[in-house]
Amino acid sequence: MYYTKTLMIAAALLGSSALTAAADVNLSFIMCGDERPADKAAIEKFQVDNPGVKVAMEIVPWGNCQDKSMTLAAAGTPVSVAYMGSRTLKKLAAEGLIVPAEIPAEMVESYQPGVLKTVSYDNKYWGYPHAFSTKALYINCDLVTTAGLECKAPETWADMIAMAKAIKEKHNVAGIGIAGKDFDNTMHMFLDFLYSNGGTVQDPVTGAPTLDSQQTRETLQMYADILPYGIEGATAWERDQMKDLFNDQKLGMYVNGPWGKGQHAEKVPNQIIVPVPHGPSGVSGTILITDSIAVFKQSDPAVEAAAQKLAQTLTSGDAQYDLDKSWGLTPILQYEKLGVEAPYYVGDADWQIFVNGISTGGPEPLVTDFKSLQGVFTNMIQGVMLGEGGTVDQLVTQAGVELAEVK
Amino acid sequence: MANATQTKDQPTVRAARRGLSEGWFAWMLIAPALLFIAVIVAWPLLETIRLSFTDADMNSENWVGFANYEKMLQGAKFLEIIGRTFFWMVLSVGLKLIVGLIGATLLNAAIPGRALFRMMIMPPWVIPIAIGCIGWLWLYNGQFGFASGMAQRLGIIDGPFEFLAYKNSAFYAAIITDVWVGTPMVSLFFLAAMQGVSRDLYEAAWVDGAGRWYRFRRITIPQIMPVIVSMALLSAIWTFNSFEIIWIFTQGGPRGGTTTMIIDTYKTAIGNFKFGEGSARAVMIVLILGVFSLLYLKVLDRVNKHYGVK
Repeated sequence: MYYTKTLMIAAALLGSSALTAAADVNLSFIMCGDERPADKAAIEKFQVDNPGVKVAMEIVPWGNCQDKSMTLAAAGTPVSVAYMGSRTLKKLAAEGLIVPAEIPAEMVESYQPGVLKTVSYDNKYWGYPHAFSTKALYINCDLVTTAGLECKAPETWADMIAMAKAIKEKHNVAGIGIAGKDFDNTMHMFLDFLYSNGGTVQDPVTGAPTLDSQQTRETLQMYADILPYGIEGATAWERDQMKDLFNDQKLGMYVNGPWGKGQHAEKVPNQIIVPVPHGPSGVSGTILITDSIAVFKQSDPAVEAAAQKLAQTLTSGDAQYDLDKSWGLTPILQYEKLGVEAPYYVGDADWQIFVNGISTGGPEPLVTDFKSLQGVFTNMIQGVMLGEGGTVDQLVTQAGVELAEVK
Repeated sequence: MANATQTKDQPTVRAARRGLSEGWFAWMLIAPALLFIAVIVAWPLLETIRLSFTDADMNSENWVGFANYEKMLQGAKFLEIIGRTFFWMVLSVGLKLIVGLIGATLLNAAIPGRALFRMMIMPPWVIPIAIGCIGWLWLYNGQFGFASGMAQRLGIIDGPFEFLAYKNSAFYAAIITDVWVGTPMVSLFFLAAMQGVSRDLYEAAWVDGAGRWYRFRRITIPQIMPVIVSMALLSAIWTFNSFEIIWIFTQGGPRGGTTTMIIDTYKTAIGNFKFGEGSARAVMIVLILGVFSLLYLKVLDRVNKHYGVK
């Protein structure tokens, strides 16, 4: 009798553990960039609310994060979800490696204008937009005033060049930071200026390339004109590295997202944030960039369903608000519509610059071969920085030809 | 002796008893190694060759014949990249051999603390390349780096200079780091060879009035020549395929100024997910290195015969 009892208990224990194992869902999550407390808190809550679902997050630096997620998927061992630039979504969708995002209908209405366009392809949403940025010009007023100028927003490119020149000549430090490294934000910074000059990259309706234009020539010419007052060796610098130069009083101004304010607050308290100055053919603009959570196609439907749920949790109103506020992101949702009282960006003059940019901004071009797109811009920009590849006119013409070949 | 022969023949005898021929038995012995090579080397190589005839990307592939090779050979930058790769290889290997020879000679000299010096040359080779490169990145940084700061203090330049921002300086900066990483091993091989040179030769030459330089040229160099040739050719193959330093420094930029064949292959296959086109480049590298290996065997054979090495 004793042995029978023991056997029955053992069988029951084994059975229950087998059932638990069957119910367990393990989600792998690649997060590009840094670990963000707001995301971490949302994931912990998700795991509590969904017993049996475990989330293993891996933080990977931006430099090779997207390649990692994509290579894993191409090798047939995809992660469950990945946080990555929305520019990658079209390629992943076209290759059938991700599944459409199931954004709840009530959320669709809440996104800022233009945000969902960055994840749309073939009449479907392919990612949950999770971070949004607009850009503005940060100016170190100590360097400007000691150079004999009033620290106020340069309205035009000519004003901006004059300010950069004054800083360079007075302090022998870079007047402005222009990114030129083989990196995505080299293209992004150029687009901030191109969109501030009325330029476009693709026709919004047909998608045909429109880069080969007078507006692009003027923008590239501005780069050529301002480079003598910029960072020495601009082709070795990307935007995020400029924060350190700015904080070290070695850089007069540069274009960055709203998170820059907090990054500079301690070392450069006397900073101002102003809209990106406009060129001769346009008004101040900015690039609208989103990063998204993509759900990868899985062989196990339970994993895919749990991944969708996790993405929905992370991008839901409360979790998203916590992230935007704590991480200093341009509000991705219209929080007033969601009933948030006194959102963090209302009534703050600096925040209004970033929020106003949403209506005047231009999109990050959505193409399948996004690496080649980046290459077209980098080649053109580095051409003017290194003084090779021909004149500004020739470089833009060449870029137009190369862009036409990008799918 | 008889016992030794008996022991050596025992497995063959046993095999014969089991009805296996000596040839079959030999094949059975090397089968695990062959299987290992087939899985680790042959299969990936064959798969790469197969992929090079397809337009494989992330999720599909179609047979395209020689299209990838045609596109590669017709590409405006392909010859430029090959030329740069050979220049990178020749310059880097040349410097490694020269610096390695000087280093080995100094380490072979009878000086106090020689063992310590021998140990001190090891770190560049021992520490992970990525860690070493981070140090060099700091050295080359124009705003915060040592090299630019020192050059400014010495009055050589009047402002910061970004070594990795320009095609030529980035290329030579990468060469210097590659030489830094690769020289210790070359030095150690040369040192080992030098220590094998008979003292009698030096003493005889010294008695005949030969100076240091003469002894070095006429005794040391000829005696270690097989090792020099081996190291030159092996180092050439390794340097040709050197990836980490350039990738960490510049990812092949600026404007392709440091793009070698291996960087181009990686960017095409992994960076742009054009596995077919990337494989064609990889096959081209295999062919070039195959020619190199043949050259290596021929030259080594000739040198060994010349210096009477078996």
